[in-house]
Amino acid sequence: MDKKILIGGAVVLVAIIAAAAMFMGGSTDTDPTHLTVAAHSNIKEPESGFDPLTGWGCGHQNYNPLVQSCLFKTDANGTIVPDLATDYSISEDGLTWTVNVRDDVKFSDNSTFDANDVAFTFNKAKETESDLDLTNLDKAVAKNATCVEFQLVEPRSTFIYDLRYLGIVPEEYDNSTYGQNPVGTGPYVLDHWDKGQQAIFKINDNYYGDKPYFTQVTLLFPDEATWLELAKSGQVDVVPVATSALNQTVDGYQFYEVSAGRAQGISLPYLEDTGAVSPAGSKIGNNVTADKAIREALNVGIDRQKMCDEIFSGHATPEFTSVDTRDYANPDAKVQDANVDEAKQILKDGGWEDTDGDGIVEKNGTKASFDLYYQPDYLDRQSLATVFAEQAKELGIEVKLVGADWDTIYANMYSSAAVMQQTSPDPYKSIYQQYHSKEADDFYMNPNLYNNSDSDKLMEEAMHSNDLSTANTLWAQSALVNGGGWGPAGDAPFAWLVNYDYNYFIKNGIDIGNQPDGLGNDVLINICEWTRTNSA
Amino acid sequence: MIKKKTDDKRQWFLYSANLRVKTFVIIGISALVIISIFVSGYFIRDIPTSFVNANQMPSLEHLFGTDWMGRDMFQRTIAGLGLSLMVGFIASAVSTCISIVLGLFSSFNKFADECVAGIIDLFGSIPHILLIIIVSIMFGGGVYGVIMGVGLTHWTPLARVLRSEVKEIKTKEYISLAENLGRSRFWIALKHIFPLIVSQIIVGVILMFPHAIMHEAAITFLGFGLPPHEPAIGVILSESMNYLSSGYWWLAFYPGMSLLIVVLLFDLIGENVEKLLNPETAQE
Repeated sequence: MDKKILIGGAVVLVAIIAAAAMFMGGSTDTDPTHLTVAAHSNIKEPESGFDPLTGWGCGHQNYNPLVQSCLFKTDANGTIVPDLATDYSISEDGLTWTVNVRDDVKFSDNSTFDANDVAFTFNKAKETESDLDLTNLDKAVAKNATCVEFQLVEPRSTFIYDLRYLGIVPEEYDNSTYGQNPVGTGPYVLDHWDKGQQAIFKINDNYYGDKPYFTQVTLLFPDEATWLELAKSGQVDVVPVATSALNQTVDGYQFYEVSAGRAQGISLPYLEDTGAVSPAGSKIGNNVTADKAIREALNVGIDRQKMCDEIFSGHATPEFTSVDTRDYANPDAKVQDANVDEAKQILKDGGWEDTDGDGIVEKNGTKASFDLYYQPDYLDRQSLATVFAEQAKELGIEVKLVGADWDTIYANMYSSAAVMQQTSPDPYKSIYQQYHSKEADDFYMNPNLYNNSDSDKLMEEAMHSNDLSTANTLWAQSALVNGGGWGPAGDAPFAWLVNYDYNYFIKNGIDIGNQPDGLGNDVLINICEWTRTNSA
Repeated sequence: MIKKKTDDKRQWFLYSANLRVKTFVIIGISALVIISIFVSGYFIRDIPTSFVNANQMPSLEHLFGTDWMGRDMFQRTIAGLGLSLMVGFIASAVSTCISIVLGLFSSFNKFADECVAGIIDLFGSIPHILLIIIVSIMFGGGVYGVIMGVGLTHWTPLARVLRSEVKEIKTKEYISLAENLGRSRFWIALKHIFPLIVSQIIVGVILMFPHAIMHEAAITFLGFGLPPHEPAIGVILSESMNYLSSGYWWLAFYPGMSLLIVVLLFDLIGENVEKLLNPETAQE
């Protein structure tokens, strides 16, 4: 009798444990409409929460803010089309942009969306978000519930990109709580957020567009080093591929490559070292890289295709002007590269010769040697820096690598080379801020203090133009003007190296729809179109 | 029962030599290995990348395999060990100087002795790694920061030994004799005490080496001090952690093994040198 009870008890115990293991142990989410995404390291976990006014979705990087939606969006062809807006017009003088907005939209907290919210968002963002340069916006005024007027200080053709990327927040915005409890008009609402680990978004029932297939999106913020492990664990649906794993395959995942317009290259200080310092006290100028022959020789002598093939296993294309793939690219501003002989000739003509036989050229007693700063957390930048230094050595230029955090890099960018990256489709960011002359202000745009008055003039004209195609032509021209300009065929202030595509492991059966070209950093851009086709 | 004929006294290695010679041979061989690592590490500068050969298994061509940039891990390991040895050497030198100064200072009077004891206790009470990190950041990171970090924290055990040794010597009659004859404390410390603690110093320095190397590896492993393109042994090991899940075991195994061997060699040298210097064992 006792034995039976004992056996019975044991059986029950085993059954309970087994049941518990089935419910709890295998915590893998089997709901097909739930999606888990590992964010790329370019989309950092926002410290101050999911708040567009402190940089979520706009600012340093542009991506789908999920919780909020914007006035405009990008369609599958890459065209900017209305989202919260219905249409817009620009006044004759280019100073007033009038945007009509939808009248059928509710925020996730059931309050009604109207033009006042838009005006509030832009006026507030102008004060709060430094990465999003809205200095040119004088003010935004709501004319009535569905019409908002933007008054600009001077005409700006690229203002559409600001309208495109700033997520709209309600007028009842409170900066102390908004980041934790964001309220928006986007397809999702923030369900909960485990800081340092994950943010879970649930579908927004008030969303005005087509409801997305995925009712829950979990966003993880892992280190680049753990990406491959995450994919191999099979618990994450979308995982970015690190540079070192480009040759790998993971069972159950497809390798997905999205073009990025992600230019990576080396900024070369443009000014001579005159002892000047920036407001923050950083040294300005470098006598080696300020010599045009050095910059030109690097641009001509470097083998970009080899870098693409070797470092990036072919998942990149050579990049010359930082905007090669954009509408405002200038193919004439490119140079023929991988030409070591010509590079050496350029150095020789520039007065650089190896007189002491150490393999490094000199000019007037100055050795052609400079420091190159890079951020070591990114494997792609580390390997680019290493290979760049190797190739430069063949030309007779010594590049000394310095791995450092961003603060140190920014403190040294005016006097040393640095590995930089640029992704924005907005020419205001990718050209005007990058190449227009400025006073040293310790901001990371135009890190080498490039300046050329001819080029400046064309950029200003492009900014002031009301017509997009005229503007694009002007942007392109500024890359090469009177033998100068910011392209490598001009003044060559940068040695842009590669255009590195964004690569993801995406679980079999997930259909990510049609992604627009050149925006690969924002893989969730069309999350509303995503589906899972093999749902069990 | 057949008893195997063995001669316990007769050893397999250099059996005709006496213990003294054997000790010398062991010291010599170990030192030779370490010196050759140091010298060849110095000559390895830029290790070429070759992405075609990335992440290759150990082979005759690449003894320790290759890493994710296709760099030869054998060269990286040797260069890393060379750097470790350099750091260990300078750091030991710095530590030794501090220990000697403090040890001799403790001989001056009771107050000085208490002071030295206090300083030793103070430094000894702070966790080692923490102190190294703080000091190396204070010196601005880089190789210099690591050297100073390790150098300024490893003197406590040796200083403690020297202090007690000095204390013992001070009870000797010839010290009080010299004092009565009006010799200065400094003169006594230098002429009467220092020569007697030289053997302790030598052994102490050699045994400090592996400690310093281990801590150099530890601190670079934690990411303080050296950037990832420098082939320091800690940097190599921490980098290899990311590839263990991909099955690239050789990235961690060989460099870790090499570090262990170098540390053991130092221990071996230290022990044998002590045998020679210690009057109790020197004549065996």
